[in-house]
Amino acid sequence: MRYVNSSNVKGRPVSQVNAQRGLSSRQETVPPAGRRQLSDMRIVQLFILPTIILLILMNIFPLIYSLFLSFTNYSVISSDPPVWVGLENYTHILSDPDFWHNFATTGTYALLSVSLQTIVGFALAMLLRSKFTGSGIITTLVLVPMMLSPIVVAVFWRLIFNPSFGILNPILGFTDINTSPEWLGDPALALWAIVIVDVWQWSPFVMLLCLAGLSAIPEYLYEAAAIDRASAWFQFRRITLPQVMPLLLIAVLFRTIEAFKQFDLVQGLTFGGPGDATETVSVELYRLAFQGQFETGLSSALAYIVLVVIIAISNLYIRALNRLREG
Amino acid sequence: MHKKSFLILALLGLLVLTLGAPAGAQGITELNIWWAEWDPANYLQQIGNDYEAATGIKVNVVQTPWGGYFDRVATEWAAQGTAFDMVVGDSQWLGQAITEGHYVDMTEFLTSTGIKDTVTPATLTYYGEYPSGSGSYYAYPTEGDANGWAYRKDLFENPDNMAAFEAEFGYPLAIPQTWEQLRDIAKFFTRPDEGLYGIGVYTQIDYDGITMGFQNPFFAYGGDWYDAEFNALGVVDTPETIAALELYKELYSYAPPGTNNAFFAEMNDVFVNGQAAMIMNYFAFFPALANPEINPFAESTGYFSMPAGPSGERYAALGGQGISINAYIDDARKQASFDFITWFATQEVQASWAALGGYTCNIAVLESPEFLAVAPFNAAFAETMTFVKDFSNIPEFGQLLAVVQQYLHAYVVGGEGTAEDAMTSIAEGMDEVLAEAGYVG
Amino acid sequence: MANAANAPRQKVVISTRVDKVSTGARLTSSFRATIAVIVALIMLIPVAWMAMTAFKTRPDAVAVPPKVFFEPSFEGFVSLLTSRRQLTNDEIAVYQQRTDLGWADQIALIRGQAITGPSAFPRQLLNSLIISGVSTVFSVGFGVLSAYAFSRFPVPGKDDLLFFILSQRMLPPVVVTIPIFLMYRQVGLHDTHIGMVLLYTAFNLSFSVWLLKGFIDEIPREYEEAAMVDGYTRLQAFRKIVLPQATTGIAATTVFSLIFSWNEYAFALMLTSDAARTAPPSIPLVLGTGGIEWAAIAAGSLAFLIPVVIITFLLRRHLLRGVTFGAIRKG
Repeated sequence: MRYVNSSNVKGRPVSQVNAQRGLSSRQETVPPAGRRQLSDMRIVQLFILPTIILLILMNIFPLIYSLFLSFTNYSVISSDPPVWVGLENYTHILSDPDFWHNFATTGTYALLSVSLQTIVGFALAMLLRSKFTGSGIITTLVLVPMMLSPIVVAVFWRLIFNPSFGILNPILGFTDINTSPEWLGDPALALWAIVIVDVWQWSPFVMLLCLAGLSAIPEYLYEAAAIDRASAWFQFRRITLPQVMPLLLIAVLFRTIEAFKQFDLVQGLTFGGPGDATETVSVELYRLAFQGQFETGLSSALAYIVLVVIIAISNLYIRALNRLREG
Repeated sequence: MHKKSFLILALLGLLVLTLGAPAGAQGITELNIWWAEWDPANYLQQIGNDYEAATGIKVNVVQTPWGGYFDRVATEWAAQGTAFDMVVGDSQWLGQAITEGHYVDMTEFLTSTGIKDTVTPATLTYYGEYPSGSGSYYAYPTEGDANGWAYRKDLFENPDNMAAFEAEFGYPLAIPQTWEQLRDIAKFFTRPDEGLYGIGVYTQIDYDGITMGFQNPFFAYGGDWYDAEFNALGVVDTPETIAALELYKELYSYAPPGTNNAFFAEMNDVFVNGQAAMIMNYFAFFPALANPEINPFAESTGYFSMPAGPSGERYAALGGQGISINAYIDDARKQASFDFITWFATQEVQASWAALGGYTCNIAVLESPEFLAVAPFNAAFAETMTFVKDFSNIPEFGQLLAVVQQYLHAYVVGGEGTAEDAMTSIAEGMDEVLAEAGYVG
Repeated sequence: MANAANAPRQKVVISTRVDKVSTGARLTSSFRATIAVIVALIMLIPVAWMAMTAFKTRPDAVAVPPKVFFEPSFEGFVSLLTSRRQLTNDEIAVYQQRTDLGWADQIALIRGQAITGPSAFPRQLLNSLIISGVSTVFSVGFGVLSAYAFSRFPVPGKDDLLFFILSQRMLPPVVVTIPIFLMYRQVGLHDTHIGMVLLYTAFNLSFSVWLLKGFIDEIPREYEEAAMVDGYTRLQAFRKIVLPQATTGIAATTVFSLIFSWNEYAFALMLTSDAARTAPPSIPLVLGTGGIEWAAIAAGSLAFLIPVVIITFLLRRHLLRGVTFGAIRKG
């Protein structure tokens, strides 16, 4: 054990191994011969180029095209060419109180569903981290909700939420359908209903990434802690959490991005209703872009506003992630 | 290496596909018709198979789920695509499709062949004419449809119910003649303890559901979405229409729990599970209710058409679609499409269309005793098609609809504000859209 | 150098934890297992409800109160897999006399319908298999290469490139759909398998690069360096050392990519019409004459779920084994 420690981490506390490795070892490696240096460059190019080329082919055109359209008055189904209107679309959206309402709804939804998913997913991972008879099957079964098409999930949960012939209310103990909650028709409950379904479907995603992170934690860290008689809480806080954090943050990053873009579930469950109680930005975006309106210019502007917000939030996460990595 | 060859392969594939596309311009062997994914489209495929047997030209009815149907067709228009030769499109699309030139003008064709006179005038107006009253036609009415009612005869004709109803309301329990009577009956049959509710009404927020349902009393109470000069203010929000909205909300309070975002599918659901004494629905969805395997009450299910408003006016919200020809296909394909419609519009084919379950708009077939007798709801259907009325079909209908949908749903389901607030907000919102589009100063 | 290469392996022997066998730990473990089973069962209730609905008749599917016990019916599967036509009353009488009807025909006849042929569903299922299978292979393949390069080499503008890759995932798809649609029409990729494969590969790449980089970062680079000193080339070290160590990451990425492309709805709806149409756009809204056919939707969802469950189950070992000190598991 001591031997492994010293060979890998040059005497630093083990919990910092992973974090430090990236930077330290590069400097320590003796620069290889010139030929290999060149071939490394080739490898980098060969390995990265396909990804970049494909992404540029598939995404740069749409991105630039919609950026251009966001400054125009244009409808895709119209034969009139786009008319340049400058920032008008942006000022129109930003001065519309409905937009801020939609944005607040989206933020509330994202905060609730991502934080609940993180907690539930992490707890599930802690439950399933140590192997027991049938743990493989249980893990696969827990993953099943994630494997369903979001649009199908929404359709089915509508059936489940239905106070007349759904099974949720009877399971929760509401047997009289006249007094039981009307999940999707009650402005106070509808957003929670969407959050419940999202947490149900995507906690397994967080769980899987956490499991991967947990299984990467070297046993000897716990052994060392056990020898030091560290409390369970201490072990969790000083070993488990920091070690899982990088993958957990990736999971949270992707779930946050998805939550801000969430459309399928809201469309299938409430479509923004009742009234505008669950109207997220993406529902409004869909209404503008399609639904007989085809306000392509305006919807592109709204999409870019959403994009900027997501980029800002992602940047915060990535900074946190890098801080973790670099210790 | 293999990723390079993949890219080359992909590019090659692209090339082959682009070169391979424009082949076989003359000698049409195949026609593509687009429609939404539902049973009538399957019936149309049957008709198409008959056409293939008669002429050797294969007919493909390509189906897209309702939820994405309009988006799909509209993007095809945007690309000036030729994926379909004909499209069975909603009446509301006419404005957009015609002002942008996506549909072939069929006026000359429908007039010279005499097909124009074989269908009921109302269906030709709503499914084919744009702008209204212009005499220019762009579609052949294919699937006629409108809102009607299904009700439980066993409940209505039960002697105890009849006596109790008359004692409570002072007139006999029967098919309602007015919206007030409809409301009384709905109230009467709402017995939560027995798991029975009086009525099912549309409440869906997605696209046009709640608007379609509310339009029935709205028009009957003298409302309209705008007048001849496109004024919405003072036309949408009158005391009468506010009363109509209050009535609609009251009807919703007699509906089974859970019908807070309900449209045609949910209506049939609460009817076949015995929760609702009567439901509104499009006639296209009534065949299921006549089928004992789907509806346990099939034998005792009756149908009636829309009741009248305070001044005796009756209106039914229009559904249904007409078939139009894509303006972007070449002349040979256009001619082949005209040939198909000519054949499809013959009385003989329309009779078999009706026999399959399609809702024909052909006058002779509608009036034939066979048609009236073949299904229990056909009589109500034939009557309804004489007083149908549609939502706006101007190119901006989508924006108008979005305004109406949101405020109706917020008031009726969400319980926000008053009926007056809702109607005022709708009038103002519509006025804004119409003003921005340049209809009103 | 043999010393360094052996180092991790030696740990195996030592790392048998003493406390693993203690009774206290075993109790906690069985307690955990019980909770895990309960949670799994609760999470599966909606899926079980879906499976039950697949075997219900239409009235049973919307019965009040909900029916837990019912007479199973194959109506849903028949509606899903066949196209039917409505028979007239006279025809029904004739059909009822016939003795040559298969069981599916008889189920259809109960509703007064005759089967006219298979539905589009089996073909759509095949399209789904081809498109999501191929795109998953590509996105994981390209992803692991890029992730390795980003993880191990000082790529110029690395952070910007990585962020660019991630940003591909951020734009709401509703808006990307129209430009992509127009582009696909221009180049003839509309309604083709290649077009859908390219799209899904591109969409999954951002995720797979990020996730795999996360995993590869965790693999000590000392392993490869040791191997390279032993005479491996960089590529050999990548293939023989890094890839096996990254199995967990690759398995997880495969599962996620597969799930996404298998279930994708919006692009499939807009960019395909017939030839390359996948199943998801059609399943959720199977409309019969009477509105939504709950049993058919449930049957379709179930049939559509099974392939992913099988693949995940097959990959479960890789999903769950350790990453960092990979030599442990091989002993």
